[in-house]
Amino acid sequence: MKLGFLVDLHLCMGCKGCQIACKVENEVPLSTWRLRVKYVDVGTFPETKRTFTPLRCNHCENAPCERICPVSALHYIENGIVNIDKERCIGCAGCVMACPYGAIYIDPETQTADKCTYCAHRIASSMMPACVVACPVEANIFGDIEDPTSNISKYIMQHNGDVQVRKPEKGTNPHHYYVGGGNVTLNPLASFRVEGHQLFNKLTTKMPVGGHH
Amino acid sequence: MVHEAVAATHAVVTLDVGLPGIVWPWFVTMNMWAKSIGTGVIFMLFYLQKRHGDDPAVATLRFPVAVISIVFISIFLLFTLADLHQPFRMWHIFFYPHWTSPITIGAIMASAFMGLITILAFFSFIKKDDEAYDKLLLWTMILAIPVTLYTAALLSMCTARELWQMPTETVQMMLAALLSGAATIILYDAVTGSKMKEESIRSMAIILGLAAFASFTMYMAEMIFGPMKAEEVAAVLEFVKGHGEYATMFWIGQVFAYIVPMALVLLSIVNRSNNLLKLAALSAVVGLWVVKHVWLIIPQLLPMS
Ligand code: SF4
Ligand code: SF4
Repeated sequence: MKLGFLVDLHLCMGCKGCQIACKVENEVPLSTWRLRVKYVDVGTFPETKRTFTPLRCNHCENAPCERICPVSALHYIENGIVNIDKERCIGCAGCVMACPYGAIYIDPETQTADKCTYCAHRIASSMMPACVVACPVEANIFGDIEDPTSNISKYIMQHNGDVQVRKPEKGTNPHHYYVGGGNVTLNPLASFRVEGHQLFNKLTTKMPVGGHH
Repeated sequence: MVHEAVAATHAVVTLDVGLPGIVWPWFVTMNMWAKSIGTGVIFMLFYLQKRHGDDPAVATLRFPVAVISIVFISIFLLFTLADLHQPFRMWHIFFYPHWTSPITIGAIMASAFMGLITILAFFSFIKKDDEAYDKLLLWTMILAIPVTLYTAALLSMCTARELWQMPTETVQMMLAALLSGAATIILYDAVTGSKMKEESIRSMAIILGLAAFASFTMYMAEMIFGPMKAEEVAAVLEFVKGHGEYATMFWIGQVFAYIVPMALVLLSIVNRSNNLLKLAALSAVVGLWVVKHVWLIIPQLLPMS
């Protein structure tokens, strides 16, 4: 069994339900996120469009974070999830640097690395990840990518040709797919970030790392 | 490249969370800089013994070099520890080692290296056994090679930080050790009354000058050709080009670490001037910190997602 995620960006409406459900389920501290939905506006008025991209750990098959961790705090579990043992983590931040997707952060409360675990604790009790349950449009599809009869496998087969992963050139082989993705949604360098100014807030882009330094 | 992409798509991030700031700060710069000196002086002593063993001043370098190496490797270890968010769990590295991680391998090798240089100090100061010292120096020098290089492996394993490539970083780490090792020996000789023979000091000057030249050439090659290789490299190098956030600091580093030492080494050899050489050495040691710092920080300024 290899668990995977697929987000159909045609369906996602940017409600951030998954983002909040994840935050609550995993008690993710203030200023840090395991899952976030990024809004990117494209085009020039009046030809504009808003895109929404949920971003979380990809549970890479060839995970640089797992490889670089000096104490195996990041490790694979049998179902393919890249999990983290926070008790073992020494907080070297090697994984934060190694992950090509910016999916890991230093938890300011525990001073250890943390990230999306596909809600491994819920899966162990045969429940779906919190974000999947919260999504009102079922844009998050989760399941066994090795089982051809699973929803996710069928979805991948049906949308063959429109299924993408982030940064495939990094050779990480993500177990997280997007349908309807494109350069703007999946490539962080394809969009411009205005420092300190966003739609509903005045957020400084750069945040302190783990309340340290 | 980023700007072209924006022009093409008119894409602007309008809502997102704050991204992590600098994850590896100047503590890591200190780590790399101090390690270069700590291993560099060992390379230099080994070379001087082989090449200029007849210089009586070289024979007196045994204890000072061991001490300099201990001091700088201690600084390196201290800053490595201080950079951990859970420093009291450092022991996990030795009890739960993960062998694919250069951090694990590096920690073990650096600890062993620390042990060897401490024994060198013991042989030279307490036991006064030069023969044992010189035998051990060979093994210490051999271990100094991977200790110098493992950080390059660590940087190159940061998959999306395209600026840090293998084997470029390996070569840069080795050149940094040669540059700072030679500079430190020159400075040590200067403060202890310039006792080394002219040929020995000239060897150090040549190593300093050549290491500066090779390093500078590689940085400039990366500046010119790097952007053609990968979108990320192009975006990162924007920070040190033109009016980039780190452009001034980058050039201060290049001038102090490489350009000034190259010029002064040349002038000092032509004019047989030791004073110019001292200045070159000081400039290189200071400049190297700045160069390392800029190269460490800029890939971290890029959004990964
Ligand atoms: S997305 Fe990042 S954190 Fe997740 S498995 Fe891949 S490398 Fe690790
Ligand atoms: S911060 Fe923790 S999980 Fe990440 S590499 Fe270091 S020890 Fe491993």
